Amino acid sequence: MVIPVQGRLRRRISASLLLAMSLTSIGALGARVVGSISGYIHLENPVWVESKDPKSRSYTFREMVPTVPAQYRKLSPYIPKEVAIGLFGTEAQKPGAPITVRVGGGRTTPVMLVAPPGTKIVFHNVDSFEHRLYGVGMKEFGPSNTGRGAKREWTIPAAGTFEIRDELAPSLRMWVRGEPNLMEATYPNAKGEYSFQNVAPGEYEVQAFFSGEKVGPAARVKLANRDVGVPPIVVATPKKDGEKSD
Amino acid sequence: MLLSRFWYAIIGIALGASLFLLSLAASIHNRAMRRVLGEGLSADSQVVSAVLKDDARTRAAHLIKFAVDGTIAKALNQASQSTGKIDPGHRDTIEKALKKISQDIPPDQAFDAVFAVDRGGRIIGAIGNVSTHGTEEPELGGHPVVADALHGFVRDDTLVWGRLHRIVARPVELEAGGAPAGAVIGARIIDDKFARELSARSGAAIAFYVSGSRTAAAAPEGFPKTSLDQIVTDLDKVTQDPDYLEKGRSGIREIGSDLAVQYTRLPGEAYSLGAGYAVGRVSTPVTSIFGFLDAADDKDKESVSWPLVLGVAFGALALGLIMSFLEHTVPLRKFAREATALATGKVDHLQPSKFRGVYRRIASDLNDGIDKLAAAQGGVSRKAADLGQVLGDLPATPQMAAFAVPDSGPADSAPATTVPISALSTQRNLPTPPSRNLPNPPSRGKPVQSEEDWPGVFEQFVQTKIQCGENVEGFTYERFRETLIRNREALVQQHGAQEVRFAVYVKDGRAALKASPVRS
Repeated sequence: MVIPVQGRLRRRISASLLLAMSLTSIGALGARVVGSISGYIHLENPVWVESKDPKSRSYTFREMVPTVPAQYRKLSPYIPKEVAIGLFGTEAQKPGAPITVRVGGGRTTPVMLVAPPGTKIVFHNVDSFEHRLYGVGMKEFGPSNTGRGAKREWTIPAAGTFEIRDELAPSLRMWVRGEPNLMEATYPNAKGEYSFQNVAPGEYEVQAFFSGEKVGPAARVKLANRDVGVPPIVVATPKKDGEKSD
Repeated sequence: MLLSRFWYAIIGIALGASLFLLSLAASIHNRAMRRVLGEGLSADSQVVSAVLKDDARTRAAHLIKFAVDGTIAKALNQASQSTGKIDPGHRDTIEKALKKISQDIPPDQAFDAVFAVDRGGRIIGAIGNVSTHGTEEPELGGHPVVADALHGFVRDDTLVWGRLHRIVARPVELEAGGAPAGAVIGARIIDDKFARELSARSGAAIAFYVSGSRTAAAAPEGFPKTSLDQIVTDLDKVTQDPDYLEKGRSGIREIGSDLAVQYTRLPGEAYSLGAGYAVGRVSTPVTSIFGFLDAADDKDKESVSWPLVLGVAFGALALGLIMSFLEHTVPLRKFAREATALATGKVDHLQPSKFRGVYRRIASDLNDGIDKLAAAQGGVSRKAADLGQVLGDLPATPQMAAFAVPDSGPADSAPATTVPISALSTQRNLPTPPSRNLPNPPSRGKPVQSEEDWPGVFEQFVQTKIQCGENVEGFTYERFRETLIRNREALVQQHGAQEVRFAVYVKDGRAALKASPVRS
């Protein structure tokens, strides 16, 4: 899934295709930047982690299913919605077209959003019941009801990280990152592969974001008239004391 | 009179004690009732909590039937391979399987909705009441309960999808050892029907609430279910209860005059949304000492020991009547008999010594009145002059003198009330005169009284004092004799009499001596 800053929705393409195309020259439309992230299995969705704590009183019972291997029992995020990949230029960018964020199913889509300050965000409630979104610590985005099918707008006020929550759905948390130099943002597929299409020649940085923060190192990319492959970005590593699945 | 007054005091004290005991009993009853009520409500709350947990586990067990269905697992796995538009074929396959399996679930454990989601949390197929979710790429993947299921856990939750829902979810595996192909989620709406099932299983009166509103309620037969509506007025206040905020369960709260409730926050995401349930019991506090009458039912009244109650009541009544008869009726009748005798001429005066208390004084007063009337009409007076007539040779005034013996009270000038000595009894222990052969007490016909007659006078005087209720302790013959000698010498010198005769009489209810000088 790609959330284009310029307002165009682009399809995600597979890694194999991207790699093959990176070796061929493209026309005047620009080149592609393809890459992948790894180590995301070691990321933890903070909402889910909080929920599994017995002190949160989120359940009366929670038991693992023994036939599911431990590696799959880690509460890693669903990266197509929760890890954003940003392509950064060397100069500040103007705000693009409004970005629509779906609110439903216990979260927003996407969960992590990166955009230049001044970009308008449109929250669209696709649930059949009300939501009451608000920005944490933001007076200009206080709690307000958004009915079924209704929309609510908010503009990223400045550079920085902003957290959006819902008074009527405590597990709903979204992070918006205001990045002035952001050229474009996209999301990886379930395997961690991503791509930026029609990128003009130049020097760029690729950075991954999760839960409002940068994850992994920034990858430098120098793009001419041909597609470029970005070395895999390791967004997380195993904890030193060993990770536990639950 | 003394007994009656004592009885009235006992009755008064008993009444006061009864009121005190009733007040005490009311307080003890209310305290005990609150304790029992608190224990009962805590038990109800814990039972409901256990039933909710058991219900969730039972429903989670039913989800296994969906999770092990190969058709569902295969369709979910295929759906998970694509992030594009959901294949309608997968949706149909899954929903047919969901419906088929749901038919095998007992009605009281059935779900209101069942969802099958792929690894991304998208709803691939759903049955039942699924209108709570939008139709545009509906998903459930953000909920921790669904995320847990997609990561290999089975658990429950309570979500507020407009209404309160109990949720259970578990993973769907295509093959063991692999990542879950998706998850299956069962939802049960917390409505009146659910509350009734819960109430039937727990025996508790229960009401669910969220966002300050009661959403569902049910109560056992005989419990006024509508009284549970009162919790709405208390929901704002309960959020200030530290126990409720920290432990998830409030203390016992009394709402109105007859309802006690305990609030418990629902587990799950609804916990932080202020959702919970209240269990209630009817309280019967005794608000006044007569409140027991209102609080008692027929069974309570039957358990009262009526023979004991009636026995005490009639016993007290009989005792009071007996005392009243002895102290009021008997003396009055006796006085009436004497008055009748006086009226019919059988006696010419009343004998005060026959009476006690106020009747004695009344008798004396009547005698005085009779004397005054007789004197006024030329009759014979029974005063000291009468004694003079009986004794004879009484000197003219002032040849008579009345005086009091020390310790026998002062003599005054009030008219003396005479009592015949013969009317006095000698039943008590008396101070003893000198142990010598004494002559008989002076009789009214004896003209001369010598010192040898004084022991007899002393004895008469002491008897009279006792009859009059006077203290005779320390009253000795020597003292009596000194007084008589002193008075005799004074009278002999004053009146030139050869002898002085002393007579005992009663004056104003007290014993006194009258001295009469005798010239020859």
